[in-house]
Amino acid sequence: MKQEIQDLDVLIIGGGPAGLAAALRLRQNGIENILIAEREKQPGGILRQCIHDGFGLTRFREMLSGPEYAERFIREAEALKIPILTNASVTEITPDRIATVVARDGLRTYRARAIILAMGCRERTRGALAIPGSRPAGVFTAGVAQAYINLYNRMPAREVVILGSGDIGMIMARRLTLEGAHVQAVFEIQPYPSGLTRNIRQCLDDFGIPLHLSHTVTKVHGERRVTGVTVQEVGDGFRPIPGTEQFYPCDTLILSVGLIPENELSLGAGVKLDPHTRGPIVNERFETSVPGIFAAGNVLHVHDLADYVSLEAEELADAVTDYVTGKDLPDCSVSVTCDKNINHVIPQTVSLRESVNLSLRVNRPLTDVKVAAVQGGDVIAKKTLKKALPAEMISLHVPKDRILPGKELEVRIL
Amino acid sequence: MRKTSERSTDSPVTVAGCPRSTDSPGTGPEFQHSTDSPGTEAGSPRSIIGPVTGAGCPRGESYFIQEITDPRRTLASSVLVTGGELPLCSVRLTEPVPIARIPDVMKEIRKMKVEAPLESGTVLIRDVLGLGSNVIATKTIRRIKDTQ
Amino acid sequence: MEHEYDVLIIGGGVVGCAIARELSAYRLQIGVLEKNPDVGYETSARNTGVVHGGFAYDVGSLKAALCVEGNRMMGELAKELHFPFKRCGKILVGHTEEEYARLLEVIRQGEACGASNLRMVDREELHTIIPSAEGNFALLSENSGIVDPFLMTSALAENAAENGVDFHLSCEVSDISREDGLWVIRTKNEVFTTRWIINSAGAQCGKISEMLGIRGYRIIFSKGDYIVLDPRLGTMVPMPIYTVPSNTYMGIHVTVTTEGNLLLGPTAENKEDPEDYGTEQKNLDFLYEEAMRIWPHFTKGDCIRTYSGVLPKWVDENGTIQDFRIEIRDKEAPNAVNLIGIESPGLTASVPIARYVIRLMKEREVFEPNADFNPARNEIRRFADCTREEQEALIRENPDYGEIVCRCSKVTRAEILSAIHNPLGARTMAAVKYRTRCMMGRCQGGYCQMRIAQMLETEAGLDPCEIMYARDGSPLFFGKVRG
Repeated sequence: MKQEIQDLDVLIIGGGPAGLAAALRLRQNGIENILIAEREKQPGGILRQCIHDGFGLTRFREMLSGPEYAERFIREAEALKIPILTNASVTEITPDRIATVVARDGLRTYRARAIILAMGCRERTRGALAIPGSRPAGVFTAGVAQAYINLYNRMPAREVVILGSGDIGMIMARRLTLEGAHVQAVFEIQPYPSGLTRNIRQCLDDFGIPLHLSHTVTKVHGERRVTGVTVQEVGDGFRPIPGTEQFYPCDTLILSVGLIPENELSLGAGVKLDPHTRGPIVNERFETSVPGIFAAGNVLHVHDLADYVSLEAEELADAVTDYVTGKDLPDCSVSVTCDKNINHVIPQTVSLRESVNLSLRVNRPLTDVKVAAVQGGDVIAKKTLKKALPAEMISLHVPKDRILPGKELEVRIL
Repeated sequence: MRKTSERSTDSPVTVAGCPRSTDSPGTGPEFQHSTDSPGTEAGSPRSIIGPVTGAGCPRGESYFIQEITDPRRTLASSVLVTGGELPLCSVRLTEPVPIARIPDVMKEIRKMKVEAPLESGTVLIRDVLGLGSNVIATKTIRRIKDTQ
Repeated sequence: MEHEYDVLIIGGGVVGCAIARELSAYRLQIGVLEKNPDVGYETSARNTGVVHGGFAYDVGSLKAALCVEGNRMMGELAKELHFPFKRCGKILVGHTEEEYARLLEVIRQGEACGASNLRMVDREELHTIIPSAEGNFALLSENSGIVDPFLMTSALAENAAENGVDFHLSCEVSDISREDGLWVIRTKNEVFTTRWIINSAGAQCGKISEMLGIRGYRIIFSKGDYIVLDPRLGTMVPMPIYTVPSNTYMGIHVTVTTEGNLLLGPTAENKEDPEDYGTEQKNLDFLYEEAMRIWPHFTKGDCIRTYSGVLPKWVDENGTIQDFRIEIRDKEAPNAVNLIGIESPGLTASVPIARYVIRLMKEREVFEPNADFNPARNEIRRFADCTREEQEALIRENPDYGEIVCRCSKVTRAEILSAIHNPLGARTMAAVKYRTRCMMGRCQGGYCQMRIAQMLETEAGLDPCEIMYARDGSPLFFGKVRG
């Protein structure tokens, strides 16, 4: 049986904001032989269902909806004749960058000089949280509810309780309310909200939906459809406090309890993941531990603004351009470390020979912070912020001329 | 139960409207307000005791005053599509409208039925309810046979 | 609506479906009445999926004899009906001298029951078989195995349907009476008359037995909670790991499933309501702790979901668990086969139980063979289990095999369509889920459930409000957003 292998300069897995931006930049850089593999019938990724505005503010200086933001890239990709294979699933990638793609017209094999991972992320589920109780209809993650309402024209809820004050949960609180559902409350296990303040104001306060911090759902009730949830206050170690049980009758529990980068394909290729981000460990060129395999966007670390995903993907595309054109690139063997206030930093390894944009998140809300890149006790770059929230990614630019060779790089809150 | 949405009338009020409240525009301006509490009635003027402080960006002060005197919001929703490859087209307002009129705008949006094909950006309702904002389509929807 | 049958089987669990399938080899009008919208909803699919060796039961008991027979024939059955079965073996690990002696006793008892291929393995051999297991020695039962209990149940049912058995789903029996030498069964909307009636109602066996006029059976319900771990861990456990049993409790196990997931469980607690399936935090905490002692290689972050199941046990006035009872009481309830207390090893023993039932029936009536009976079932090819060449051939034949719908388990549109069009007429999300593995992976349907709901609407001709998650009355939607 003949197995044709098609050669590519770059295979991009995922036609969402990261994949699209990377493709456009690659083509602008003169890389011709590229292909986007997208498993949905249309490109755009998660943006297709994010119909609220807030996209494109920094990039286009406009307040666009997700679909509009995506369409800017898709139109340009069409104009540049960048091939996008839709309704096609990449089922395997190997360490030597051979990819298998399954489509309605058969199996295809590609050998790419570089692969860009842009698969985005999945939502944390009720199963993963192991919330006790029965398993009735009516427990949905926020993204699923969003897809049902915005893409499939199906209304999955009437009386709603939301667990998790992440952005998508709050966006859905508003969406559900506008479509006639009654959102009774949002519960958040942390003592502070997970999402942007803007969303608390415009999605909860505007509609009189209360947000209860330091609470969680401890049981789901109902044999067929949800009939209610038990909610409890949590104390040390997020353990439910006995005696604080409250029953909320409802027919829907929406979960907005975290996003997990979708890296099953990456694991199959031997890519090493960072347990803090659950995305690949990358160097300053966004290259993973497997040479020629790169990652950007939500698959690398969960972003909060699509605009920054596009920027990151463009940076990555420049790096991939250098890689496939055979440019001599410095070794990245220096680990970037961070102090206990910081959850993670991207990239995890650097060369100390080039400028680098560090992306990081703090572990808990902090006020009047100085985020600093430090080498050997000296601050080589810093940024001052009135407020730092875990919900908001912070970027810190470290210019090449400030970097000291041969010394460890640490990111600290001063 | 603690609620972040509760505000006491004696403490400073912050208003956050920007997508990025930390990195670029600041957390929002603050002020020491009068005995009137904000948000009780859309459109009525307020008397402000002290100056507006703490605005992290140049637009902060005017945004803040708008928010206190006449809060406005944009809106995103969906309209029914016939003959298209998708059953719904997402729509949004081009300008914010007074918050109290949002339910009326939703009523207009719910009445709509649009025929595919539909280009993103198409004005579906011009100057909806005379509020100074258009309702535009935010997706391009092709006719269902075009996709074969 | 009135229906007339030769045989009506009450209960579409694995035993009811096995009886239906075995009986369809004879020329009889056969029907199955199942109260849920699909087969295998209760005890049959909510268990550990282990095919037992037959050594854990009293010598001379039906449990022992039927289990040994079921174990022996499972390989053939799985091939005929195309459901997943692995004769992977099973170990019972021990640490102390007392446990060692107990295991030797288990071997003695087992061999007296007719079980075979049981032997002790020492520490070294144990760690060759399962490097990650904790223990000084173990009993190895080489005949034991694992099966997908839902697929086994639905395979039996679908083969029965293909051989002419009618399945009446969402059909709960409300009344049984005897009129003019026939049994008359009433459900909410229908009346059935039948010459033979078979009570294989599982957890409801006591209730149906009373309706038949056979009173006095005391049934208790033992509920067990389970934790399902990521399939990544399944590669470390080639066979179920059990602990040394005591007289009342099998202990919790760490079991690999045919899909490669790991199961921790079950707990055991008597409950009043056989359908109280809510998992409880205290049980989940207990499972984590106990499982850590047997196999300390997982974290709570590896949990992908939890579930529970209930075993109906027939007990005497002292609360002692009894053997299977399979009986016909010619005076009190003629032509009624009464199955009481079918708990573990009911799954392993299901076809032998069915044959036992039929032997009892044939002592009273001659059955003509059904010349058209076909014991084999067509395989629905699973794309994810095929070689590359097979995958290419499948797609060429049917492009729906080239459209992956469930990303986590690589389930294609073709398989989902097959599941939606199953011969039983089950049309719920769960019916699709348990036949194809979709919605059971890492994302738990986060990516694919919307597409599956849409496919159910289009393919099964259902309105949005008719899409049920699992049980009747478990709708996903309240209607459309627009229109």
